[in-house]
Amino acid sequence: MNYAVETKDLTRIFRVKKRRRRRSGSKGAEQDVTALKDVNLRIEEGELFGLLGPNGAGKTTLIKILCTLLLPTSGKAYVAGNDVEKDPYPIRRIINMVSGGETSGYGLLTTRENLWMFSQFYGIPSKEAKKRIDEMLEAFGIWDKRNAKVRTLSTGERQKANVIRGFMTDPSIIFLDEPTLGLDVNASRIIRKFISDWVRETSGRTVLLTTHYMMEADELCDRLAIIDEGGIVACDTPRNLKRTVSKASSLMFEVDYLRDPDKLKGIEGIQNFTYKHNGQMNRTLLTFIVQDESAVADIVSRIVDQGAKIHSLEKREPTLEDVFVSLVGKGLA
Amino acid sequence: MKEYLLLNLRALKGRAYPRVVGGTRELSWIFFDTVLPLLTVAAYVFVYKYLGTFEGPQQEYIAQFIGYVILGGAMTAYWMNVLWSMAAQFYWEKEIGNLQLYMIAPMSRMAVLGGMALGGMFYTSVRAISTIVIGVLIFGVTFSLGPPIYLVLVFILTLIALYGMGMLFASLYMIYGREAWHMSSLLTEPIYLVSGFYFPVRYLGSIVALSASIIPITLGLDALRQLMFTETAGIHGFLPVEVELVALAVLSVLFLFLARHSLRFMENLGRKTGRLTMRWQ
Amino acid sequence: MAMKENLRTLLGAGWLGWQMEANWTDPFLFLVYSVAKPVSGALILVFMYIVILGGVAAQSTAFAYIFLGNAFFIYVGQVLFGVTWVIHEDREHFQTLKLIYISPISFYYYIIGRAGSKILIATIAVVVTLLFGVFALGIPVDAFTMDWGLLILCLTVGMACLVSIGIALAGITFLTAKHSGGINEGIAGLFYVFCGVVFPITQLPAWGQSLGYAIPVTYWLEAMRKALLPAQQLQGTGLQGIENIWLVALLAVSALFFYFLSILIFRLGDYLARRAGKIDMTTAY
Ligand SMILES: Nc1ncnc2c1ncn2[C@@H]1O[C@H](COP(=O)(O)OP(=O)(O)OP(=O)(O)O)[C@@H](O)[C@H]1O
Ligand SMILES: [Mg+2]
Repeated sequence: MNYAVETKDLTRIFRVKKRRRRRSGSKGAEQDVTALKDVNLRIEEGELFGLLGPNGAGKTTLIKILCTLLLPTSGKAYVAGNDVEKDPYPIRRIINMVSGGETSGYGLLTTRENLWMFSQFYGIPSKEAKKRIDEMLEAFGIWDKRNAKVRTLSTGERQKANVIRGFMTDPSIIFLDEPTLGLDVNASRIIRKFISDWVRETSGRTVLLTTHYMMEADELCDRLAIIDEGGIVACDTPRNLKRTVSKASSLMFEVDYLRDPDKLKGIEGIQNFTYKHNGQMNRTLLTFIVQDESAVADIVSRIVDQGAKIHSLEKREPTLEDVFVSLVGKGLA
Repeated sequence: MKEYLLLNLRALKGRAYPRVVGGTRELSWIFFDTVLPLLTVAAYVFVYKYLGTFEGPQQEYIAQFIGYVILGGAMTAYWMNVLWSMAAQFYWEKEIGNLQLYMIAPMSRMAVLGGMALGGMFYTSVRAISTIVIGVLIFGVTFSLGPPIYLVLVFILTLIALYGMGMLFASLYMIYGREAWHMSSLLTEPIYLVSGFYFPVRYLGSIVALSASIIPITLGLDALRQLMFTETAGIHGFLPVEVELVALAVLSVLFLFLARHSLRFMENLGRKTGRLTMRWQ
Repeated sequence: MAMKENLRTLLGAGWLGWQMEANWTDPFLFLVYSVAKPVSGALILVFMYIVILGGVAAQSTAFAYIFLGNAFFIYVGQVLFGVTWVIHEDREHFQTLKLIYISPISFYYYIIGRAGSKILIATIAVVVTLLFGVFALGIPVDAFTMDWGLLILCLTVGMACLVSIGIALAGITFLTAKHSGGINEGIAGLFYVFCGVVFPITQLPAWGQSLGYAIPVTYWLEAMRKALLPAQQLQGTGLQGIENIWLVALLAVSALFFYFLSILIFRLGDYLARRAGKIDMTTAY
């Protein structure tokens, strides 16, 4: 079986001619920018795959190569088993792309007309296309903007229209380059929900998404790759990635005053245990570092055995941001 | 196969659409695109009228020359459309971000250009026809028409060859951005001169006229003039209409063929260098 | 204080304009814009002339009239086009119009500054065309018999007048989209027909002649011809009786009139554009 996306030692180098300096007359030297370096990636059909990385890491470059807009300098890239270099046309039939902040279409046409125009480039019969477009306009809450000229739309409305443009052609693989860039909480939520529903609705649909919002990546993606300076530095499920930073999660209990907290020691699966009494409030604060969460049940029953009440339980897991910072060395947005 | 054809027909229709409605949506366009070009034409008509007040070898044909100018003025509309809205269009499209969306879509690039051409022809024809109608009304030109079938054939072949040339240019402009702009600019007045937009091309001498014939409008315009003013065709025409017709057919095939290959080549070059999606260059 | 600031804007914009046009030192672009385009434009008329009259030597006074009128008309096209183009270009291609607009400099002076560089470049094209006419076509312009005083005076006043008209058009351009090219093409076209550029206005119907007499460009072109060829005046142009001093006075008065009109239109256009939200629109189809 083919992977939805597969790259083998994918490398892309941009040759940048330095601007000739005025009057100096010397011919500009060529300088190379390595945007991608030996990238090996496999994305399964049906996956919602995320790409995280700092600015200039090479995310957009990778997407452009997979969308047949850019050729690799060396290495291979396959989309649904087709070589991006040799067979771009079969790829183009089954993909689409949406990037954040893009403008598309013609300002003079209405939202609906623009979408219809793009649908025609995929050979969708007009009637069918209009039906899909109307449904999606409704779903994204811009139905009232259907007859507005696109040049009058707000950034968010335009971005919703872009997302519709990407999904309306019913691609099997869609590339989303920062699809929620510059959107408000509500709009991003609508788009995120749409994306995750879309992938799960029918089997075989694949999404490759880049984002700078950690929460978005965590919430949406089945698997994530973290890319930095053109190379993949980690690739796994969000959960596993977070474990690499610290394999354990910490649980904090606030309970009634415990006379003998040491009795809680020795529960299986507990890595570390500390406690603190708060005499004023007549409470005890217990902190467990656990290997896995199956220990929770044991802990709770032992506390209850001592006749204490649990007032609150807080679990703090390492976040993706922790992962990102530990791998890339600098925080995001 | 059938599906691929259908896809491309739909793409063609899709791309022609904004051109067609673009024209009808902003009506001020009609004023700008029909009245204004007439001004240059009118100036040249008055020049001929003025020159006609002097004794000279062509004094008796001034009426025909006025007709030639009006016809030439009408054809400038197509030439401008090809230069700025066909050739340079992919450059604008790149700037506004549409080009990459066209490039990831599965249709043939020729279909997109074909749609642009058809839409462009549609709204340019409004401009061209109105130039002729108003010119005829104001300056009282009388035609002596040749066989209509020839007229139609010449007109259609001229447009196909011309827009074929536009498609070829478009492929170049896709990669060479701003430089291409200067090319379009260069191809304005000099081409008006060598293609004989405002006087019969034969007066440039056969070498210049033949070289200029690579631009389809040169022969197309000459043939149209001969067919619309049959009485003076023998005096002012460059080549026999039949020859010009064949030449136009050859040019049509040639340009469409070249455009197709050049598009492929340039697209690949663009993918290799990354210029396909690079903006603000 | 305000004057000083405006002056700085003007000079800054002039510098910016020159930087943008600085690729003029590129030989290819020099050939395109300063040689190929203007000379071809002139040659169209030359060939029309040759076809009808058999050669440029026939009726040489009429030929010089047409050629010189056309050569100096390059200024009209370039300045009108230049000023409106600044707005179009900044808005659509660089999308910087809104940035300049929200900066505190006077937009009016910014445009004048940018126009300055256009005038300089148009001058090159005019000179090239004139040289072509003198040396290739034998137009008897002679540096020793020329009326230099009239030339310099009328050129200066004429430019001021053209820039004013250009700014009035720029005000209108604020409101239009794709037609910014169309407006100046149209006004330039009107001037080309009604101002005695390539044929005497006596060829026009009576109403057209009256229109011609009302546009300063008509007098300006006549003055330029008189300055270059004081001894050779075409008869029947409808202007031959006017003294030089009156030509200059007429020019000066109309320049002043258009200056105030342009301020008015520009302000109005600017206000309406802001009201309609068109400062930063783009429009391609
Ligand atoms: N056409 C190009 N020519 C030269 N260099 C380029 C080109 N496109 C991208 N680059 C360079 O390649 C590197 C990767 O760019 P890319 O756009 O892929 O980054 P990104 O991960 O998408 O960043 P961001 O998060 O900012 O969108 C950058 O250093 C960029 O400057
Ligand atoms: Mg990016």
